[in-house]
Amino acid sequence: MYWEIFKMAGEALISNKIRSFLSILGIVIGVSTVIVVVGIGTGSKKQIEDQYKNLSATQVMVMKTMGRGAITTSKLEVTDADIIRQQVAHVSDATAFVTGDSAVSYGKESSSFSLFGARYNFFDITNLDLLAGRLLTEEDDIGRAKVAVVGSGLVETLFGEDFDATKVVGETLTLDGKKVDIVGVLKENGGSAMGRMSYDDALYMPYTTAEKTMLGGNAQMMIVVLMDSVNYIESGMDEITTVLRAEHKLKLTQEDDFRMFDPGSMVGAAQDSANTMSLLLVSIATIVLIVSGVGIMNVMFVTVAERTKEIGIAKAIGAKQEDILSQFLLESIILSIGGGLIGVGIGQIVIPILNQFDGWYVVSSFSGVILSFTFSALVGLFFGFYPAFKASRLDPVDALRSE
Amino acid sequence: MSETEALAIKMKDVHKSYYLANGEEIKVLCGIDLEIKRGEFVALMGESGGGKTTLLNIIGCLHPLTSGEYFLEGENIGEVRDDYTLAFIRNKKMGFVFQQFNLFSRLSALSNVALPSVYAGVSKEERQKRALELLHTLDILDRKNYKPTELSGGQQQRVAIARSLMNDPEILLADEPTGALDSKNGLEVMEIFKDLAKKNKTIIMVTHTAEVAKFADRIIYMRDGKILDNNYILRSDY
Repeated sequence: MYWEIFKMAGEALISNKIRSFLSILGIVIGVSTVIVVVGIGTGSKKQIEDQYKNLSATQVMVMKTMGRGAITTSKLEVTDADIIRQQVAHVSDATAFVTGDSAVSYGKESSSFSLFGARYNFFDITNLDLLAGRLLTEEDDIGRAKVAVVGSGLVETLFGEDFDATKVVGETLTLDGKKVDIVGVLKENGGSAMGRMSYDDALYMPYTTAEKTMLGGNAQMMIVVLMDSVNYIESGMDEITTVLRAEHKLKLTQEDDFRMFDPGSMVGAAQDSANTMSLLLVSIATIVLIVSGVGIMNVMFVTVAERTKEIGIAKAIGAKQEDILSQFLLESIILSIGGGLIGVGIGQIVIPILNQFDGWYVVSSFSGVILSFTFSALVGLFFGFYPAFKASRLDPVDALRSE
Repeated sequence: MSETEALAIKMKDVHKSYYLANGEEIKVLCGIDLEIKRGEFVALMGESGGGKTTLLNIIGCLHPLTSGEYFLEGENIGEVRDDYTLAFIRNKKMGFVFQQFNLFSRLSALSNVALPSVYAGVSKEERQKRALELLHTLDILDRKNYKPTELSGGQQQRVAIARSLMNDPEILLADEPTGALDSKNGLEVMEIFKDLAKKNKTIIMVTHTAEVAKFADRIIYMRDGKILDNNYILRSDY
């Protein structure tokens, strides 16, 4: 019985191929758009995750304010890190470091990299892992040793892409004419501390060596603080402010001579903006789908009007209202699911093509397929119902009389 | 068998009115009293607009009546409005034959004949068997896979008659069944009806042609929504 009605619905659609095709075009476009935009959204979220994957959400960065107005004499000190560690609640560790740019050469290869003057606990706090050799020690710091731990990006640039980390250890680099021995190589981190500053395209030297010998006046001092948990970030930042203001002996009227941010919130912000974009794109695609549903409704009304006589005949020979309703409803559902399937197909073809372009990163997601397919079927059901209902309620005599 | 059970159809004081958008009442049937026995072949004649087709549609449960009583095989169905029951009556108790055949143009002759059984929920094998038998009886078995547009008018009407018989109804309702046929085909259709009447089908046929009406056992003559004559005698020269 139901199969017969299904067959009749299918036959009716096939007998009007062009109209059926045009009416599903909207659904096709809508569904393929949803699939592609969900892919774009998923892709950009994944890119953000990759970019920040090694970033600790429990970090707080403290740095000097850029010289402005009365507070040019900003004086963030190495000891501030110790004070923060001792006086602020829920701080698991804190370390001061200096950064700056440095021209590094090895043999004929030469390039500019970030130089971090770091203390022994820096690597723990920033989640940097060793690939070969050793990390920096307190002795390096005290002795102002001319040694460096290098990031994987730097090694790739200077030693070639298929370097042997164990052989890199022991080599000597030249920094602004000064010889520095490599004592360790770090694993690829992929992340960055603050936007463009990459942990991979960098080298790490003992704090004292970097500050006094290498960077001189160009060094920028920062403190990285690791909180016990994300929940303490806000209260921690407040306490750090209080502690540092006291330490720097600032008067009530004076502004802070340091500033702070938590990289974790940057990830959140980036994810938020990616989510907002996904949501925006999906809403647009949803609107396309709804508009296409209106198209289907329109076509179904035309179909019902055209087949009024047929409805009358069917009723005269014993079709119930529900038989008529199911047939027309099935027609619109077949239309929309058919359109949905074609749309899914087009989406799957378009995604690899988009990925050929630079800067595009589209991920084909199963949830996108399910979402758009379900939605298109619902559109057919929803927008097909009213025309089908109208058809089922036609007066048989009026319907028979129509031509 | 009591008197009511012997009657296929009995109507008492049936009225039917339409209402225009401005509320004006158009009376189409004004007090119809009617008795049709089981197995009787009745022709409804009368002037255009006299209410013949409306009466046929009310008998066929396509129209609700405005007032009065309608007994189908002894049961008062004049007040039934529920779609399920009405569809059941149209499907199982009645068979319709129309002037313009009203076949589904997309379906083959065989599928057209079988359609009432689809709505009745009969299995595919049984449907096929019964439809093929009917096509055979009506002498158009060789056209079973033809679409209506590939059939002549006479053949289409045979398919339509086969369809009306599909669920083996008691009553056949025909609205000008020969109206779209030439006289030869028209006469053939009337012979079929005559045969069916012999097989104890109750047939109610609307016609305005005396040549067609004379095949019936009885002619009911209508004018202005009333039955003028329950046993109208045609002039002998027809």
